[in-house]
Amino acid sequence: MLLKSIKVKDFRQFKGEQYVSFSTDPERNVTIIQGDNGAGKTSFAQAFRWCLYGETDFSNKTLLSMAVSDQMLPGDEKDVQVEICLVHNDIEYTVTRRQRYKKDTANRISNSGRNKFVISYKKSDGNTEYVPELETELKMKEILPADLSRYFFFDGEHIDHMGKEIRNGRSSDFADAVRSLLGLNAFIATLNHLKGNGKNSVIGRYNESYNAGADETLSQLIKNINSYNERISAIDKRLNELEQQDAFANDKCQQLRLRIEKNQDSKELAEERNKLEKELAGLEVTKKEKTGLLLKNFNAHAPRYFSKKMMKDALELLKSAEQLDKGIPDVTAKTIDYLLARGYCLCGHKIEIGDDAFNALNKLRDFIPPKSIGSLISDFSSSCQEKTASTSSFFDNFQDIIKFIREFDNNRNTLEDRLKKIKERLLGMENVGALQQELTNYERDIRKNSDERDNLNQEKGVAQSKLQSDEEKRSSLAIGDANNRKIETYRAYAEYMYNTLKQEYDIKETETREQLAKTVNTIFKKIYNGGFSLSLDAKYNIILTADGRSKANDDDNIETSTAQSISIIFAFIAGVIKMAKENQGSDERLAQTEPYPLVMDAPLSAFDEKRIDTVCDVLPKIAEQIIIFINPKDGKLAEDNLGLRIAKRYTFTKKTEFETDLMEVG
Amino acid sequence: MLFTHDYSFKGAHAEKVKALVGHKFDKEHTLFERNMDVYLMAPVVGFLYSRKAELDKSKPSTTNILAEIMIKYQKELTFTYRLVMLLDKEYEPDTEKRINKAFRDYAKEDTKDLEEYDSYVRGGVDVLYEKLMKDATQADDYIRNLYEFMADFEDRYSQNSDEIMDLCKLARE
Repeated sequence: MLLKSIKVKDFRQFKGEQYVSFSTDPERNVTIIQGDNGAGKTSFAQAFRWCLYGETDFSNKTLLSMAVSDQMLPGDEKDVQVEICLVHNDIEYTVTRRQRYKKDTANRISNSGRNKFVISYKKSDGNTEYVPELETELKMKEILPADLSRYFFFDGEHIDHMGKEIRNGRSSDFADAVRSLLGLNAFIATLNHLKGNGKNSVIGRYNESYNAGADETLSQLIKNINSYNERISAIDKRLNELEQQDAFANDKCQQLRLRIEKNQDSKELAEERNKLEKELAGLEVTKKEKTGLLLKNFNAHAPRYFSKKMMKDALELLKSAEQLDKGIPDVTAKTIDYLLARGYCLCGHKIEIGDDAFNALNKLRDFIPPKSIGSLISDFSSSCQEKTASTSSFFDNFQDIIKFIREFDNNRNTLEDRLKKIKERLLGMENVGALQQELTNYERDIRKNSDERDNLNQEKGVAQSKLQSDEEKRSSLAIGDANNRKIETYRAYAEYMYNTLKQEYDIKETETREQLAKTVNTIFKKIYNGGFSLSLDAKYNIILTADGRSKANDDDNIETSTAQSISIIFAFIAGVIKMAKENQGSDERLAQTEPYPLVMDAPLSAFDEKRIDTVCDVLPKIAEQIIIFINPKDGKLAEDNLGLRIAKRYTFTKKTEFETDLMEVG
Repeated sequence: MLFTHDYSFKGAHAEKVKALVGHKFDKEHTLFERNMDVYLMAPVVGFLYSRKAELDKSKPSTTNILAEIMIKYQKELTFTYRLVMLLDKEYEPDTEKRINKAFRDYAKEDTKDLEEYDSYVRGGVDVLYEKLMKDATQADDYIRNLYEFMADFEDRYSQNSDEIMDLCKLARE
């Protein structure tokens, strides 16, 4: 299959009709489509997949150009269409897919009916013929199966994943698709026809045709044989599922182990973070306690402390007014009256009218209330003394607490800085505990699968031996009935044909696979040149081994870089294409095959300059057609390296966020 | 007798007292524990900062101190009252009269003298609010304000205890 052209209409950023014609020149077989990131390269590359298979990777599945839908009125309808012209088996096909969109009264855009998929081709008389609608999907599968197409239409962003997929746990569908590309599909079809799973194969139908008549033993044998066959194919199906699950789980385990190793530090960091957070919380509590103490002291002592200045001034004032006299605290004239009436003093001395004691007490009236305020002033002075004494260390204490609080603040800032740094480091890291749990789960799944597989294999063995024994018994009983005898003979022929063909096929298939492995490896070495070799197992899984070591892929830890992954994919695809081309020219080919183009989105970004050089050298020689979507930076590299092989150049020009124009250059 | 009845902060001053007593700046602590704590401190601060304030009637807000609390703190309050009366030369230039106001007339509940005292209470509330609460948003702002207020006081009056103690000794001789 070679791509001649693509025409897109109102597809995503591409408003109106935009057309690209691809080079089909055998020598200058490269077409380059260049555009800035975000200009629509990936959308355009997706147009191929949508047209051929009706699938896209867009998260927003609406394909209609927003520049178009914005201008639609409620009730308006518009079509998105992609049309690809291609040549397959020397016949020119036009593949068209069209989807109608409608704007509703709420201005929402939605699909109006299913998309239309049409394939037409030019007959030798020049007339156009249409592939019947019910056969279009089948026709497309014949031209290029969707399963394999991803390796011919692929984008750089998913390359890592695809690299792994090619290396690990391929589905049997994929192996079949590769075999078909390599020209083995006629063989495979014949083998399936003779003895595929189920009752519709030749041998399956014979098995159903035995006539037991009144023979209960034969009737039971026929039933048994059918049930064994059904059970064996159910077991095979389940074994295949288990194999795929294991491949997936093994891949996950490998990734998880790497991630755990890489994030081991996070466990220690998380512990330190917890410790610091605890310390910080402790500091906050202490700070609050100290603040409480500070305010308690302030409330209790500050009024006295502040009054000191006033006390001093007041005492000075009283001194200057000679009021700091000799009053007796809390003694008033009433006290004197009481003592005189009682007749003896506080000290017990007797008082008599006119004696010295009497006179002294009466003189005291001048200094005590109500006649004098001396006592009050004396009380006041005592208060001043007491208050002053009680606040002598107040300010020092206050400062000490403030100092404490400030130190806490400093400590807290230091802790917070450390905590922030740890959190920043942890941000980029993964939780090892959760990863470990995930790993354990996958490992448990693998063990469970292994147990189930053992049981199934055992059961299969038993069923097979019973089947064989019952088939032998059926053969001997079948002789008694003419019809059964005939079926028995036909079945034996079919079995013989199947076995002979299978033998032949196995030899061819092994040869082809070994040849493919060799081709892939040669190409890989040319592209990657990194001390690694590729080989293929029976299911076309690629096994990567470091030269000088012979470890199988499953249990080695060779970390694949993006450049390595992309090289593996290139080598594999290029190998398949190369083999397909060689088969086409060979008279001994088992079925017709076609070369295929490589349509690549941003393929060079992952390579260093030296590898770009080799990739650009190798690919155009292997693939008959190369179509590359590329950004201007890599475009220059491609131009430098592919120069003479580039026949057509296009550029994307972004007009607005939702609109891109496509132009041919030069 | 002075300080034996309920006391009410009113208007803007009531609002400020409520903020000084009620605002938990770090979710836990307030600057003052009770209205009484403000009432004890405000007249001293008002007098020393020479700040008096009229009764504010612009807002209906009030906040009270009950008579029983006033009586409990009567001695402390009287002491401050005497300090103010003794030193308020603007209000009464004659020393003899000021001494009488402090020690003889205090029991008379002369509303004029008490009003003078209360104007310092209100001025003090204004000063406390400005110094401690204005422009503070974070908990740390309040602590910093408190410290600066105290340090400012210490700077202004370098509160030397010895001089007071010496003066007090005179009274005992």
